[in-house]
Amino acid sequence: MKKVITGNQAVAYGVILSRVDVVSAYPITPQTTIVEELSELIASGRLKTIFLKVESEHSALAALVGASTGGVRCFTATSSHGLAYMHEMLHWACGARLPIVMVNVNRAIGPPWNIWSDQSDSLSQRDTGWIQLYCENNQEVLDTILQAYRIAEEVRLPVMVVLDAFVLSHTSEAVEIPSIEEVDSFLPPYCPDYLIDPQEPKAFSVITTPDYFMEFRFKIQRAMERVPEVAQKVNDEFKSHFGRGYGAIERFGKEDAEVLLITSGTVSSTSRMVIQGRLEKGCSVGGIKIKRFRPFPCKEIFGAIKGAKKIAIIDRSLSPGVGGIFAQELRSALYLQEEKPQVFGFISGLGGRDITPNLIEEAVQYTVDHDRPQEEILWLGLEK
Amino acid sequence: MTKQIAFKSASEMPEIAVSVGSMDWNKTGAWRTQRPFYEDKTPPCNAACPAGNDIVSFIQKIAQEDYEGAWHLIKEENPFPAICGRVCFHPCESKCNRRFFDEPIAIHALERFVADFAASQNKKVERMTEKGREKIAIIGSGPAGMSCAFHLAKLHYQVTVFESFSLAGGVLRFGIPSYRLSKDVLDRELWDIEALGVEIRTGISLSNPLRIGDLGDYQAIFIATGAHQSKGLSIPGEKGRGVYRGLDFLKKINLKERVKLGEKIAVIGGGNTAVDVARSVVRLGKKATILYRRSKEEMPAFEEEITEALEEGVKISYLVNPIRIHQKDGLKRLECLRMELGEKDESGRRRPVPIPNSNFSLEVENVIIAAGEEIEISHLPKGLERREGIVLTQRDGSTGIKGVFAGGDLTSNQRTVAHAIGSGKKAAIAIDCYLRGRDSEDAIRQLLVGEGPFLSILRYIHPDERPMNSHIVAFEELNMDYFEPAKREKEPKRRVKERGKEFKEVTFTLGEDAALEEAKRCFNCGTCNECENCYVFCPDGSILKGEALVHQVDYDFCKGCGICFTECPRGAISLREEGR
Repeated sequence: MKKVITGNQAVAYGVILSRVDVVSAYPITPQTTIVEELSELIASGRLKTIFLKVESEHSALAALVGASTGGVRCFTATSSHGLAYMHEMLHWACGARLPIVMVNVNRAIGPPWNIWSDQSDSLSQRDTGWIQLYCENNQEVLDTILQAYRIAEEVRLPVMVVLDAFVLSHTSEAVEIPSIEEVDSFLPPYCPDYLIDPQEPKAFSVITTPDYFMEFRFKIQRAMERVPEVAQKVNDEFKSHFGRGYGAIERFGKEDAEVLLITSGTVSSTSRMVIQGRLEKGCSVGGIKIKRFRPFPCKEIFGAIKGAKKIAIIDRSLSPGVGGIFAQELRSALYLQEEKPQVFGFISGLGGRDITPNLIEEAVQYTVDHDRPQEEILWLGLEK
Repeated sequence: MTKQIAFKSASEMPEIAVSVGSMDWNKTGAWRTQRPFYEDKTPPCNAACPAGNDIVSFIQKIAQEDYEGAWHLIKEENPFPAICGRVCFHPCESKCNRRFFDEPIAIHALERFVADFAASQNKKVERMTEKGREKIAIIGSGPAGMSCAFHLAKLHYQVTVFESFSLAGGVLRFGIPSYRLSKDVLDRELWDIEALGVEIRTGISLSNPLRIGDLGDYQAIFIATGAHQSKGLSIPGEKGRGVYRGLDFLKKINLKERVKLGEKIAVIGGGNTAVDVARSVVRLGKKATILYRRSKEEMPAFEEEITEALEEGVKISYLVNPIRIHQKDGLKRLECLRMELGEKDESGRRRPVPIPNSNFSLEVENVIIAAGEEIEISHLPKGLERREGIVLTQRDGSTGIKGVFAGGDLTSNQRTVAHAIGSGKKAAIAIDCYLRGRDSEDAIRQLLVGEGPFLSILRYIHPDERPMNSHIVAFEELNMDYFEPAKREKEPKRRVKERGKEFKEVTFTLGEDAALEEAKRCFNCGTCNECENCYVFCPDGSILKGEALVHQVDYDFCKGCGICFTECPRGAISLREEGR
């Protein structure tokens, strides 16, 4: 069934179709309508899910840590300051190996106060041990939630599904909504390996001495290393069920192009258009959309950049003192490569400023025109 | 601690940091420094009930839609729920903790609902088939006498009630007008007592004064002859024609006897009798003006009665004191003085002081004096001690004469139906103790909450029932986070126009839905109603719910955080320091 729905409604459909047992969330713009949609469905009795009202995002995730330890499928959603407030519990969910799925609607972190799209919130949580998947459109949002539970429950790691504020969250698009039966055949009920059993009480996540702590961290890393393979298997199955799929990255444009443009989220849609325009003019350009930020898809990127001399990467985030976060990750990954293309790190669209086709054009032109970037950070659309 | 398990490598370790074996051995309750425990406490309504009704429990029964259970509970303590639901001055409501939040629970309305529900279902108390040999005589069939008879019958005594009047009920019969208490309701609750096996002998004149020896067949006697003598005003003209006494007037009205009345009637007094008289006068188609020597604030009649009287056209003149009644051809000139309020007197009310030369006169055709009642002493047996207008008794109702007890209005200045019921119940306990050779003072002390008035006979008959806690729950001990404001249910009233000349009941019984809503407003102060807050909030899962829905704390694992104590909305959980 096709429906014209917003990104946030697509999230709600994803949650409903995944037969989530417990939702706990605290409202924050631009995530609010997700929670509204779900809580209304639950209150009206149409959705048999437990909704836990909480007084903060920290509690929202803490409650899910409890629920998930109890062996049920859990969901929460947040944005920006709400995500920052969850920080401690983000670590906890990963450390306790709980397959919680959360949606983060990308929003700038204040001050100055700002509610618009910016990836700084989710990217600044990159070291908490959550798998991070960025979405380009509303269909991908819904589909990614279904896939996220499969991945999370297989590797026992939490997953953050990320979408842009307003550009997706509040914009309507046609979305194919699968039937619950189809989803059931793709996503089986959650069968936890460990769960609380009152008949046999056990101590969970208790103090662990230096004798063992490192081994537990090692296991988390091992689980992360399994993600590419698991995610691909899940995506393949998804494709066979629904006829659609999404890789960790997506390569488009000319093969072995000299200049490549890397983006994530909705900016990828705009860059597809710019690249198409260039190709029509006979330029040797291509593009890469990064969907999976954690674990960072090094291998997939290496395969996709063969022959490239220069890579332009547009970041919608800033790690002050360093630059764009995607650019950092890319440079660090490329260090392992024999042949290292030049990385042009652009920063644009902070706090929801539009990243227009002209700006992207400007970035591509700059990259074509220069052998190497003239500055460490290339500001795009900034009024100096 | 010794290391019992040692992993050699990551591959041997579980995926998450979880204990390998059960942690059942780790009784974390050992960390506790304070101990929560379930402790029912006494709600202020119960503590304030002179009739000893277990109010909180019967309201809980209503909330569970167990109206019959509620009725049985009340009947354990009080034979007159339908009557109390109509005429009691409900001191319980003035102590209700909900008054600090919005409005007190309409307890009287709930009691009436329960009683009328039981009547509509034809519910009866169980007849006492097994009777002991001892016989008890009760003199007077008012609320004190009948309450005593009721409880003694339930204690398996052979009870005979002697009533000089032709019908039983005492002040309930002839003192309260039918528009407040219909005679059917009175008859119904009296029949219930007779059904227990109590013999009521009406129209019986015993010797005057009573000779105890005449009742030699009886092992104990309870005298509850009330206070029916209307006090006079000691003013010139009060013995004249057309001047009546309040209670005499009400008696005639209640017996449907004709009373010769003019058009304009002055009623003197400010108590319930005065208001009852004035409202009766209005129903007879005449004009009534109440003259009261203090102001509205001091008026002892119930607020609601006054409001209804005014609705019905009764006039009230405050700060007016009659000093003389002049007779003149059937018409009377009532000479009065205007008053003002001076210093407080021993009753705590401001004393009315005459304003010099403020004399004025009212033209009326009848004067009805309702300035209080006193006991009649001529029929009392010799040897009863009296002081300040009442018969003196011990706390248990015993008099100076062996085997003779007294109660009700005869022995107290707190002359309410509820106090009379309580006093009759106390005498029943005292008589049982007397005949069983027990210490009644001691027994009664154990049944009281503090100094009373609440006294439970249920706990006398069933000593294994939990005793009433002397801890009376204060508003501050409740957790208002769990309550929302809700309007107090009002009993429907007959419209003023429809009250007419008949003495039909003015107030109607609450409907079931309204009663249920009202019962659900109750905080259940100090009484667990299984709201499950403790169970939900306990972070250690240490609240155990038994089969019989009685909660218990699992002290093996309770760490004494006190959250259950804090989150209990009604103060039914206590916390004490753990003994070391």
